Amino acid sequence: MTFNPLEQRGIPLDRQLRNWRELNVEPIDPDHCDPYTRCRIITMNGIEVEAIMFSHQLARNTADPEIKRQLARTRYIEAQQQKAVNWLLPGVSSVLETTIAYEQVAVDLTAWIARMEPDPYLQQAYQFGVLEDFDHLYRYANLYEMIEHRKAESIVDGLTEVMPGRPTKFHHRNPVDNVRDPYDRTRTDPLSKLHALTVLSAEQQTMNFYMNTGPTYMEPIARQLYQEIGLIEEEHVTHYESLVDPGETWWEQLVNHEYNECYLYYSFMEQESDPKVKAIWDLHLNMELEHLHIACDLMRRHDGREPQEVLAPRLPNVLTFEPNKAYVRELLDTQMDLTTLGAGYVRDAHERFEQMQEQIHGGEQPPSERVMTQHDQMFGREYRLETEGEHPDPAMRENT
Amino acid sequence: MTEIHTHRAGDDHAADNDVVALLMRQHGDIRNLFDEVEQSTGDRRKDAFRRLVRLLAVHETAEEEVVHPFARRSLPGGEQVVEDRLAEERAAKEALSALDDMDIDDPKFLPRLLALREDVQAHARAEERYEFTHIRRSTDAAKLALMAKGVKAAEAMAPTRPHPGVESAAANVALGPVAALMDRTKDAVRKAMGHDG
Repeated sequence: MTFNPLEQRGIPLDRQLRNWRELNVEPIDPDHCDPYTRCRIITMNGIEVEAIMFSHQLARNTADPEIKRQLARTRYIEAQQQKAVNWLLPGVSSVLETTIAYEQVAVDLTAWIARMEPDPYLQQAYQFGVLEDFDHLYRYANLYEMIEHRKAESIVDGLTEVMPGRPTKFHHRNPVDNVRDPYDRTRTDPLSKLHALTVLSAEQQTMNFYMNTGPTYMEPIARQLYQEIGLIEEEHVTHYESLVDPGETWWEQLVNHEYNECYLYYSFMEQESDPKVKAIWDLHLNMELEHLHIACDLMRRHDGREPQEVLAPRLPNVLTFEPNKAYVRELLDTQMDLTTLGAGYVRDAHERFEQMQEQIHGGEQPPSERVMTQHDQMFGREYRLETEGEHPDPAMRENT
Repeated sequence: MTEIHTHRAGDDHAADNDVVALLMRQHGDIRNLFDEVEQSTGDRRKDAFRRLVRLLAVHETAEEEVVHPFARRSLPGGEQVVEDRLAEERAAKEALSALDDMDIDDPKFLPRLLALREDVQAHARAEERYEFTHIRRSTDAAKLALMAKGVKAAEAMAPTRPHPGVESAAANVALGPVAALMDRTKDAVRKAMGHDG
């Protein structure tokens, strides 16, 4: 790999502002697009939302008005990038359709990162999480068929399987058990920092999406399912954000954010099948290179350190959206019954877990179970998409 | 050898006592049928297209008979919302009958079908967002159920299951041309809802 973001110059910041015509992007066609194009759009939207909110938090913790102004300039461009990216999603898609695409992102992004993660503790965190996203996909897919009479395969297109993961009802843990141990910023592989930031941003966007769109549904079961899964997204954000070393300075974090944006736009540009979308990844990469340089200057000035000390010596392998069916099946076979205890993982339902379960379910079936019952009443079956054979866990096979 | 089977809103065991839920599922069925037409070839495509034409025809007729009159009467600004939807429906019907006269092997068939699909999908979402939401808000359960009955009666006029080997002229003659189907659908809806034709 010859591409080194630190050695490239992008578009000067004062030439990055776009007018309305340039922001008026043409949305993808939901019935004919590459599902992974939609996944890349959803991922980059989450990345840009995190960039914007991080910059706002940094500005609120900055006294120097000159620095605030500098942050505001870059952030405005990032806000335009977010608009250009997220507006690629078409207005004719329903919230539920987009939700299923969000869960496809969660499954294939997290699974790929788990496969590539060099640190075993971090890898376990991703493996643990992906089985939960996988189950959310299955529950929403059943809701989708009930409300819109459409099968989730028309969205995921056989690239991602749809069947039970770790049952959603067991995701409700005592909040203290969602806090993991952080990596050590001085010793960890720079790639691990990028992975953590990417998954954290994606899950955070999912949390924001469900917390805001869930109540737009009128169907009681839909409202309730969004509420339940929305609360699990809160747990996931807690889980992933606690992996990041809190000892990183604000400027170091800013550099990591900008570097990660370069990494992801570069990755997606390399694999994008839709030429119009590819042109946006290309343009945004060239904008981000400049944002990275500005961030590096801020880090040198305020931390008195060279950004090279915290960044990868070269850009890691491109992050790729591709099927992860065999990998997910292996996890389904081996990690279904895990839960967390403190910062670790156990197989037994411990007292704190049982107590939380008792309190939150209140002796009733949660929405994630009721959606299956209601789907069964309507169709006399479940919705699943098992392209590689029956479920690896015999207990999770249909009609057993 | 994946078998393409498009079910229809009435195929499930839902109570069908809510016209909005029923129509939303029918919108999905229409979208499924577009998939089926696009993904099949030869006689199967012909058959899928026949079913699509029929479902679209009865669906739009049912909406015109059941939903739009209600929206026009009962919703603030309903007149304009319904006008917009009716204009979209007129355009769709013209595109539909042009396609209906065309050979499915005509190179212009697929591009026109895709254009129609886009318009139909935008029209369906507009109904869901600007019309259906208000209907649910301003209607009681009894009225929702009565309107659902009308839509079900219409749906019964459009067989959406594949008819292997009989998509030919014989089946078409049995069901008649689209305009006649729309007329019969109108009568069926009015009867189901307790009006006389």
